[in-house]
Amino acid sequence: MSDIRKAFAGTAALKGVSITLQSGSVHALMGENGAGKSTLMKILAGVHQPDSGSIQREGRQVVFHKPKDALEAGISTVFQELSLLPNLTIAENMFLGREPVTAFGGVDHRRMRREAGKALAELGLALDPGTLVSRLSIAERQFVEIAHGIMTEASVFILDEPTAALNAADVEVLNRHIRRLKDEGKAVVYISHRMDEIFAICDTVTVLKDGELVSTRPVAAMTPASLIAMMVGRELADLFPQRGDAPGPVVLAVEDFRITERSRPFSLSLSRGEIVALAGLEGQGQQRFLRSLVGQYYPFAGHATIKGKPLPLPVPPGGGVRRLQAMGVGFVPEDRKEDGLFLGLSVAHNIAAALHSKRPELALAAGYQRLIAETMSSLAVKAGSPNAAVGTLSGGNQQKVLLGRYLCADIDILLVEEPTRGVDIGAKSEIYRLLRDFAGKGGAVLVLSRETVELIGLCDRICVVHNDTIVKEMPAADATEHNILDAALSANGEAHGARGEHR
Amino acid sequence: MTALSRRLTGARGSRQGMWMLPLLIALAIALWLSFETAQFLNGENLLNLVPQAMPLIITAVGQMFVILLGGLDLSVGSMISFTTAVLALGGPGWVLIPAVFVLAALVGFTNGFIITRFNVHPIIATLSMQYILLGITRVLRPVSGGTVPDVVISIVAGSFLGVPMPVFWGIFTLAVAWKLLYGSRFGLHLFAIGGGVSSGVEDAAHNFGIADRRNIVLAYVICACFAALAGVFLAGRIVSGDPNVGLLFELDAITAVAIGGSQLSGGIGSLHGTVIGALVMALLANGMNLTNVSPFIQTTIKGAILLLVVALQSRKKMGL
Repeated sequence: MSDIRKAFAGTAALKGVSITLQSGSVHALMGENGAGKSTLMKILAGVHQPDSGSIQREGRQVVFHKPKDALEAGISTVFQELSLLPNLTIAENMFLGREPVTAFGGVDHRRMRREAGKALAELGLALDPGTLVSRLSIAERQFVEIAHGIMTEASVFILDEPTAALNAADVEVLNRHIRRLKDEGKAVVYISHRMDEIFAICDTVTVLKDGELVSTRPVAAMTPASLIAMMVGRELADLFPQRGDAPGPVVLAVEDFRITERSRPFSLSLSRGEIVALAGLEGQGQQRFLRSLVGQYYPFAGHATIKGKPLPLPVPPGGGVRRLQAMGVGFVPEDRKEDGLFLGLSVAHNIAAALHSKRPELALAAGYQRLIAETMSSLAVKAGSPNAAVGTLSGGNQQKVLLGRYLCADIDILLVEEPTRGVDIGAKSEIYRLLRDFAGKGGAVLVLSRETVELIGLCDRICVVHNDTIVKEMPAADATEHNILDAALSANGEAHGARGEHR
Repeated sequence: MTALSRRLTGARGSRQGMWMLPLLIALAIALWLSFETAQFLNGENLLNLVPQAMPLIITAVGQMFVILLGGLDLSVGSMISFTTAVLALGGPGWVLIPAVFVLAALVGFTNGFIITRFNVHPIIATLSMQYILLGITRVLRPVSGGTVPDVVISIVAGSFLGVPMPVFWGIFTLAVAWKLLYGSRFGLHLFAIGGGVSSGVEDAAHNFGIADRRNIVLAYVICACFAALAGVFLAGRIVSGDPNVGLLFELDAITAVAIGGSQLSGGIGSLHGTVIGALVMALLANGMNLTNVSPFIQTTIKGAILLLVVALQSRKKMGL
């Protein structure tokens, strides 16, 4: 693949990445969250189409319009998200799209079951291939997905974080099969955050960062430390405002919180004047924790107290955000276009939404013009007028409008997801300043982000989340990308072993 | 939950949906009617049940194909009326009968094309088609009248080897539907597409390399052709063209499919369940006629049944 570029809604995900896969070799793809690994692989699998760049296969240029094209070209993928069909059996899922047919043109279910059973047995899985996927556990589903991907006639195999739900013994089985594919002369791409796996089975490693290629090296020439350094290697930009003084009284306390049945309990407190980060690799439970406070996720157990008042858990999904708002807590969701803003409505309406939500349903709509104008000027929202539709603004200004909604609504605790996603660098620093000012005036902020640098620069304290629990807490002043990644990845090994014993 | 009640209500571990419960309901209605009314067990009434139920069975089986993939076709009622109107245009049967199926395939293709290419919601696309067809039908035949070719009448009303024709219609319908649904890759792909839609991953089947758009279009073509088949059957029964004969038939068909255990969100359902659902509807109609329930109230009751069935479904969404 050479010079691949791809942008989603104006944000560049890949900025000219080239990568060469060799047969008989396992190629690791590494990088921080959002570095573009999955996007690159989805282009190779035909799920996304590149904006520019080309794919050569054995010297010839190929174009994949849809996943089927890539499959027919001998590229088989195990996707990161579980995508099996719950209403089909294991055998049907494994052969979907390439079912054997009988002499009468019907699907040859008997052959499918026989061959699926053989494939499952090779992976050491004692499952009836006629079982519906909806009855399987997450780990079993992941294994079926792996079986679907690797038990097929192909010459390129893509495995995008295949081991997220597997325990150590299962990973060993998978590694054995990856070595088999390698010995058979196949090319394998392996995406994982687990260092031990990379060093155990990969030959070459390519590191991506912010959609750009950092380097491609032989794994033998690397150490875990030098690999992490390659993934991080970036200077803290001079973007961030001064950190605050000593924090005030605690306003949000969480105790004995367990996100899922199997996760370890943890506690967390948030004080006035403080910005606290939830850091870690993507999808480790940061978002589930934050969203369980506003009723978008059912945690397994825990106690939460807001300004001394207990918050009964689980928060009902229907009125969670609204109830929290009445307690002075604002929730800024990650996806501002889908979940946060009314893109078709004006800036003024979007800012006033939180104010209106506090008033009785049938009350006459109040104007709030003065408040809106003040908010817009204090946030420096660049819009033609308060009546401009939010959808026409830039990402940074949209994000400011969303923050403005809560800042003007008498909120003193903010739960923020991805404060600067898809926002340019100038607007980023303004948003950091806004959040810091908010904390300076006695507010408290809990923020999660994929961008570790941002969390280090912006926050006072950092909680590293891994496997649905907080594995380490550190003052942001001492934190580096390196030791956050290290805390998450070394915790990985621990939890990994613990889960192995669980079985 | 006992094994029995699990089999009756959910069939966990199958994608057939609950079909045994409606079977019991059908038997219960039949039992109730045989005690309640003198006419139900009457030979003539029983003999009439099959031809009475046949158009609904055919339409519901067609409807099932689009419901399985998470769609819906509201244009089948108009398609039925339109078919009778075309058949009553006057002309030889060997021209008119193929013509209605070609037209039906065209209508189904248009539905599927609009839904897949322009991302129009199936309800909107087929609701528009319902109106478009209704208008054309009324132009062709403003009030009922005309005569259909003799061949149409004889293949519906006559008998072959001493067996009444409607029985052969039933066998033909089920054989074709069975082959499409269970004896082809297309059938499995329908379940796959519907399973993806109802579990919230629209592209799941697409990412497996399935030609999802083509399969969706084909399902709408099949649905329209089954509606046309029902239209031919009805034309043979009423011997003329009637712009109102298919009125609200889409509601009956969707209700029958839902009663038969198919999930309206897609991915779950069965052919036998659909037939049972259609029989429940036919028995109910027969029973309400025999007990002198006003036809206006019957419509209301049907609507309430659909609401009830769907309300029961959404509670255990995937039912898997």
